[in-house]
Amino acid sequence: MNLDPIINYILIPLVKIGILFGILSLVIAYLTLLERKVIAFMQVRLGPMRVGYHGLLQPIADGVKLMLKEDIVPARADRLVFMLAPIITLIPAFIVFSVIPFGASSTIPIPAFTVPGLGWTYSGSMTGLFITDLNIGVLYVLSISSIGILGIILGGWASNSKYPLLGALRSAAQMVSYEVALGFSIMGVLMIAGSLSLVEIVNAQKNAGAWYVFLQPLGFILFFICGVAETNRAPFDLPEAETELVAGFHTEYSGFRFSLFFLAEYAAMIVVASMAVTLFWGGWLRPFPNVAFLSFLDYVPSPLWFALKVAVFLYFYLWFRASWPRYRYDQLMKVGWQWLMPLAIANVIVTAGVMLLLRG
Amino acid sequence: MKVRRPELSLLKKIFMVDLIKGLLLTFWYQRPSANYTEQYPKVRPKIAERFRGAPRLNNDPDTGETLCIACNLCALACPEHCIEVGWERTEAGKKALTTYIFDVSRCMFCGLCEDACPTPCLELTQEFELSLYGRRDMKLDRQQLEEGVQPVIYTK
Repeated sequence: MNLDPIINYILIPLVKIGILFGILSLVIAYLTLLERKVIAFMQVRLGPMRVGYHGLLQPIADGVKLMLKEDIVPARADRLVFMLAPIITLIPAFIVFSVIPFGASSTIPIPAFTVPGLGWTYSGSMTGLFITDLNIGVLYVLSISSIGILGIILGGWASNSKYPLLGALRSAAQMVSYEVALGFSIMGVLMIAGSLSLVEIVNAQKNAGAWYVFLQPLGFILFFICGVAETNRAPFDLPEAETELVAGFHTEYSGFRFSLFFLAEYAAMIVVASMAVTLFWGGWLRPFPNVAFLSFLDYVPSPLWFALKVAVFLYFYLWFRASWPRYRYDQLMKVGWQWLMPLAIANVIVTAGVMLLLRG
Repeated sequence: MKVRRPELSLLKKIFMVDLIKGLLLTFWYQRPSANYTEQYPKVRPKIAERFRGAPRLNNDPDTGETLCIACNLCALACPEHCIEVGWERTEAGKKALTTYIFDVSRCMFCGLCEDACPTPCLELTQEFELSLYGRRDMKLDRQQLEEGVQPVIYTK
């Protein structure tokens, strides 16, 4: 019996999903600690110090606390939707990772083997550090990650309470004003790379000899601003706005469901950071991918470059949160429609014009 | 109400000068020397000399005998009447201290007793960890006062 289809299409992806899920959960857990620490340092505090060395075990303590807390559903809430909402937010945030390339493609060899007694054979293959390489990867990421906001809106609506409803309302308005600019800001990269597959886009950056951030600086800035707005992080954290709306859309949530919302938020942060790295900062490529005398940098494994770049972006997220005040509702709309949208469209048009001139 | 704001020039707006200034400021605050947090139970704060905390009856460091001459001035000075001095006459006809009760639950740490004390005996120390489980524990007797409140050492 030929084992090729079973191993190539079921076993290897499952193993990859398992590993990715484990790493991702760990990264999210420690991202919460990093957030508390970084913001504490910026506010001349120390942050968590008591659980483990300098608070290193704090995420575990937090996790246990959230698991053991009572899970309250308000009496007048829409029970079904209320319970579904965190899951609707969480799942898209995680499945987006299936198309993000974490390392160089086709680098891990799986050796061929035969099981002697049964006559099962496997002819071996090469696999890369991504779960799948969709040829419409970018579209997939954009569409799936915008489903997450649906969960926020449903959660706010189903709580049957004023503050969550206001949070959900703001989230809906925010989505409408930033999703479009987000799409347009990526367009420049897609035109230069000529592909929607994330692996292909990184390979195109390697062939071009430059990360696309140098060709599309405006596109990158717009993408990152919209990405921050998309993930509801400061300074665009209007849907949860502690100072105005108690906790916004998750006011009525407690215990495990509350933590699901938070997992989703941090997963979305990692998604946006990974997308920014993949589309604009060369994904798993080392700095200066085509300069020969820097080839010693190749000894650093490609996933490490990727992780390093993502970490920088995650740090930026926290840095923004510690530094900038929240936008007011009308200011948010103004920035979205009056600045980001026209700039993103102009970026597409200028890129198209320059490409026409250069490539004819 | 119309809030007046300084007009930003277009260049300042485009390059987000003010936002970047804010970022640099918060970044610079991350240096360890800027940190302000005191790790209180582990690291004890420095208390000013003039701070008035837990009372203590001092003994003569050479002989180990109490410095108190049982003059009762502290009890008279106390606005809250929280001090009770007990004494008896010795054969020489002198007053000698027998018991001393200091009710910390009523004390407001004004320091008048300390000022009234003619010897360097009664002193309000810099010890500030005075919480106890009940009101009845707060009537400190002579032995407790001579030992003074000992700081709790936290290991974790």
